[in-house]
Amino acid sequence: MIAAIRAIDVPIRAEARVPRRGEARLSIGASKGPKAKVDWADLIGRVASHGDRAAFKRLFEHFAPRIKGLMQKAGCSSDEAEEIAQNAMIAVWRKASLFDPATAGAAAWIFTIARNLRIDLFRRRARANRLHTDSELPDAPDPAESADAIISRVQDAARIESAIEQLSTEQSMVVRLSFIEERAHPEIASLLGIPLGTVKSRIRLAMNRLRDILDEEA
Amino acid sequence: MTISHHPPEDLLADFAAGKLEEAYQLVVGVHVAGCTRCARFVRAIEQLAGAALEDVEPVPIAPDAFDRVMSRIDSSPEGEAAPPLTSDANHGLPPALRKYRIGKRRRIAPGLSMRPIELSGSGKARAFLLRSAPGSRMLEHTHTGTELTLVLEGSFSHEGGRFGPGDFDYGDDEIEHRPIVGDEGPCVCLVAMTGDLRMNGFLGRLIGPFVRL
Repeated sequence: MIAAIRAIDVPIRAEARVPRRGEARLSIGASKGPKAKVDWADLIGRVASHGDRAAFKRLFEHFAPRIKGLMQKAGCSSDEAEEIAQNAMIAVWRKASLFDPATAGAAAWIFTIARNLRIDLFRRRARANRLHTDSELPDAPDPAESADAIISRVQDAARIESAIEQLSTEQSMVVRLSFIEERAHPEIASLLGIPLGTVKSRIRLAMNRLRDILDEEA
Repeated sequence: MTISHHPPEDLLADFAAGKLEEAYQLVVGVHVAGCTRCARFVRAIEQLAGAALEDVEPVPIAPDAFDRVMSRIDSSPEGEAAPPLTSDANHGLPPALRKYRIGKRRRIAPGLSMRPIELSGSGKARAFLLRSAPGSRMLEHTHTGTELTLVLEGSFSHEGGRFGPGDFDYGDDEIEHRPIVGDEGPCVCLVAMTGDLRMNGFLGRLIGPFVRL
């Protein structure tokens, strides 16, 4: 609970890349205090271009414990969260060349990797429970994007960035608590000290606002 | 392809967060893959999720985790080579659908057939492809659960408007559908559904059992 409240006090974007110092012990080197912000995208680029292990180690030490933290918050067991964190980092190594800093932030990209692994984990578990053969064909590579699609993704990135900046801190926070940390509405109400009805209406407003801003700038 | 019907925003946010059960994730995913507007919204939620990942309280990982990860990377640096897509039967379907096993076409009624999509069984909703002949009146039905429909080919219309390729239709137990298929060709839809359909009318009672798949 305390951790959650603390998370709410943290500004959404400002300083978001600077690791906070807290009582949680990180592995060595993960948090070096308020130094210049680390360019995670650049580190991913170094992994992609020449398999830079030192760069990968810094990524690992920063992101693996955070992936585990977010997965546990979203309802995974400690073992599941650990497995997802390790597999996600392996995927970061293997897919580093697919990361395009012009279209997505490093943390968002790593989030999508972890999210997809969590989805896979739950499906595999369900399949094992049913003692069935695989219903999905073996993992196929993601379909290649057309050049047009890539160009529009780059143009979209700036628009998305600006839309998120236009959300109020309150709006970003309810979206995060509800959709990303997967907290129930009554829990959000008590965390934020607002009525349940306000939680629901604030989520709705945030969703509509995000869509309106994104549409406006089209 | 002009898309005029989109999933509600909270469904897109749940999709971006990976919270939807498999059948819904599939249908929303196929829509998003073909809809730049919704893809943009999903990416905005992913950016917010990235910020949440940065801010979350880190949880210490296993002490030997880094070494284990490195040794797995070294033993297979490129990852397992992905096999080429198989299954000619899935040719012509959206890429997101091609990796699923899709059952044989089953005739349900004159002008109406379906192909079940095999899911992992992790969720309660079913997914299937529904094909209706041009100009036909689709099943008049109400829902006991939630139904997501994505048009892949052709079109249908009901009280909510006309739905063409890429359009997304959201139905729940408050909505009564009487879709009519457009004349331009057969209508193929990707459908995810929980609960049962309640068939209205004689035809519905006749073919009612199909919805239990």
